[in-house]
Amino acid sequence: MSGAEQIETLERDVSVATFVERNEPYFRNVFERFQKGVLPRWNMNIWGLLVPWVWAAWRGVWLMFWISLAIDVLAIVCLMQVVKFSPLLAEAQLDPDANRTLIARYSSWISTYTVVGWVLLLGGRLWMGSQANRWYYGQYQKWRIDHSVAHGTAPKRVLIGLLIIAICAPLTIYRATQLRLDERACLNQVRMAETVEDLMLQFDLPDVGALGATLADRVTEAQATFDRLDALENPTDEQKTERSAARKALRDLGREAETVTEFQQISAKDRFDCALIDDFPTLARFQAPPEVRYRRVPDEEAIAAGDLNATKVLIQESPAIEGRRINIFTYNAEAIDTGINYLRAQYAGIFDAMTHVLRQSLIRVEVAFMQTPWPVIAFLFVALAWAYTGTATTIFVASSLAFLAVFELWQIAMQTMALVVVATAICVFVGLPVGIWMAKNKWFRWFTEPVLDVMQTIPSLSYLVPAVAFFGISQPPAVLATVIFAIPPMVKLTALGILQVPESTKEAALAFGASERQLLRKVELPMAIPSIMAGLNQTIMLALSMATISAFIGAAGLGALVTESLGDAQAGKGLLAGIAIALVAMMIDRILRGIRASFSRI
Amino acid sequence: MSAVVELENVWKVFGSRSAEAMKAIQAEGIGKAEVLERFDAVVGVKDASFQVAEGEIFCLMGLSGSGKSTLVRHVNRLIEPTAGTIRILGEDIGAMKSEALRALRADKIGMVFQNMALLPHRSVRDNIGFALELRGMDGYTRAKAADDALEIVSLHGYGDRLPSELSGGMQQRVGLARALAADPEILLMDEPFSALDPLIRRNLQDEFLSLSVNLKKTTLFITHDLDEAIRMGDRIGIMKDGEIVQIGTAEDIVTSPADDYVADFVAGISRLKLVSASKIMVSPEQHGPIPEGAPEARPKDDLDTLVSLSTGTEKPVVIKADGKAVGVVTKDTLLQGLQGGASA
Repeated sequence: MSGAEQIETLERDVSVATFVERNEPYFRNVFERFQKGVLPRWNMNIWGLLVPWVWAAWRGVWLMFWISLAIDVLAIVCLMQVVKFSPLLAEAQLDPDANRTLIARYSSWISTYTVVGWVLLLGGRLWMGSQANRWYYGQYQKWRIDHSVAHGTAPKRVLIGLLIIAICAPLTIYRATQLRLDERACLNQVRMAETVEDLMLQFDLPDVGALGATLADRVTEAQATFDRLDALENPTDEQKTERSAARKALRDLGREAETVTEFQQISAKDRFDCALIDDFPTLARFQAPPEVRYRRVPDEEAIAAGDLNATKVLIQESPAIEGRRINIFTYNAEAIDTGINYLRAQYAGIFDAMTHVLRQSLIRVEVAFMQTPWPVIAFLFVALAWAYTGTATTIFVASSLAFLAVFELWQIAMQTMALVVVATAICVFVGLPVGIWMAKNKWFRWFTEPVLDVMQTIPSLSYLVPAVAFFGISQPPAVLATVIFAIPPMVKLTALGILQVPESTKEAALAFGASERQLLRKVELPMAIPSIMAGLNQTIMLALSMATISAFIGAAGLGALVTESLGDAQAGKGLLAGIAIALVAMMIDRILRGIRASFSRI
Repeated sequence: MSAVVELENVWKVFGSRSAEAMKAIQAEGIGKAEVLERFDAVVGVKDASFQVAEGEIFCLMGLSGSGKSTLVRHVNRLIEPTAGTIRILGEDIGAMKSEALRALRADKIGMVFQNMALLPHRSVRDNIGFALELRGMDGYTRAKAADDALEIVSLHGYGDRLPSELSGGMQQRVGLARALAADPEILLMDEPFSALDPLIRRNLQDEFLSLSVNLKKTTLFITHDLDEAIRMGDRIGIMKDGEIVQIGTAEDIVTSPADDYVADFVAGISRLKLVSASKIMVSPEQHGPIPEGAPEARPKDDLDTLVSLSTGTEKPVVIKADGKAVGVVTKDTLLQGLQGGASA
């Protein structure tokens, strides 16, 4: 053996000792055999076999800790099914003839779960025992490269491991022994608690016991009153009224007393189950706030004073329904509703003006598309395809147009086109400046990026609702919803294109005396054009894909056809309309792609 | 000759707390390491002062990271100095308003970049006319000026190509033409030939040298290649860690390096064409009698000439100025001079 080899061996030996800290001879032997490939599969780490999670935590082999914990918990959960179903089986066996199916089902479940549980437990342990040293060797390899990897033995890690087990295992295993909870049982608990709380306030009593006693007294009292009145023969009208009042008081008191008794009788187990198992418990329920509505009405005073168009916002407040309690979700949802309602009333002028502008521009574009004779439009499309793309695409465009014409979808498709054109135009006019600003201003970018992400990920159906709340059901809100859905790529890709301009190119422009404006106009925007065109393309595609969804709130066109067929379950109609939308999208996409290619000389 | 470009005690400290760091440097004279530690700031340029005379080619030479590119960007204020004064044609550019600064950049200073930095969406002609366009010159005059500049860099007829259609060497010619188009007084060349392969680089160096004989532009030339610096520069400034360690002619730097760093640098440089007879000769008195028929040379002749003269003869070379012997170079001194011993 040469000197170099000796040193190497020595170093390795030292490192094993440092790594394992305890029981070094055993691990050196195991590691060496593993390296040589002569460690047999059945070689067991006895601690890994008996208490794998403790051993793994102690040695810091966290992967093994989690895997062994998962296997053991799963095995115990399987075995617990036996505990869960045995009482049910016993109950069913009281009347074996009537419950034959049940008995068969329960017995088969019990035997299957028993087998699976034991196989998991024993097999898992055997696997852990044989795997422990291998994983430990893997960790040793990692530690040699990176000394921050856990090594040695540490009681602190055992504590952490036990804590993890304490959090995860008992509740999970307990849950496995319980049947599924009744959802209403938990809500009833909450309601009872609320009633009891109210009653305690009402009677000014500090604890439930006293309340129960007081109510019982009151019930007896009321019963006596009622009995006395009921015993009267030939009661006067006055006495009749009194009797029915007494009957009602007796009934109410009886119900309250019953609630309190029931509340007192809720077992600790039921409370525990509702709080920790199954669904997240209802934390708090609020007294519903008074309902506020804002309405814009003609302002009589101002009209009398001569201003004929004067209006004012009227606030109508109605008290909340007695005893209505709502949870946090409902509370906030209603607050948002009130906010929207307020904005709608306060700024009615702005919303109406927006609606007007949108509607008018949509009408103009629709007229352009629908009243231009179909041969002209068809020719323009084919000519565009011919000028910017190849023969194949031109043929595709021509046949798509033929499909629309032959299936008599032409006018409807033109409506869709008009919607897309208006929405895209708004996207460009808004998206381009916002994109430029985003590229130029770090803070604005920091603020806008998450907003855009939210706009893209929020389900499109859920912002149809506010669109309707503000603008009602018609074409304009459909256009707005489409814009919100389709604008993010325009903004993002404009910003990206500008940010992608190399620093050195911008520096060169500045070195030749460019101002910020000139830099933007002559360098950054031209170089961003390919990216901006890509954004435009995506925006158009998104606008088209929104056509169906916005049809729910009144957009006309092919999308409306799809939603209609959805309502009537007419598969054929919906499919054909869907194909038409896809064809329109593909036509526009292919033609735009051709135009883009001819644009990007870079 | 008056100084066209003049830098006086220019400092550049990078970092968000550069102003504080600069104060500490001036008050306490702390070093780079301490600046980094205390202010988390990096000293990019340290107390740089030099002047470039009219028509002169001044080379700034240094390895990557030595701050030469940073320093040259101070000349047209692409980078603001943390301290110090920069004067162009006698005017302090630190005091200029942005409008005046842009006019200065467009009219007086042309810049050539290592990576060309041409605008990919514009034709060669429009690239060259870019500075003129920024000044609002009309299209016709601009195209004429651009074509003239193309002529100068011998790319006649390439005006309508896109930059991507040209080779690297041709693109850098376009870069040079762009810098020349506005006929500026000053040229800033930031490692213009570094990205090119050796043959094309040499070609362009030669062409630029012959150009500058005619154009007489005041040039600040950045390079990391000492050979290039010696070829191009009337004077050379050597930078190390943001500091100019020596300024002088190529011969000065080769024969009397300021410190070990520069000495290391110039160690491998051939002295044949750089060192003149006057630097290595010994006085006639010291040498003793001079044999008859010894070859003669002038003090300004380089070692290369002396080697040619002394081959084939045993006699030393006599150095004569105005007909009078001022020195003698024997073969021993010549060999020592070639090796670099004589100057030591």
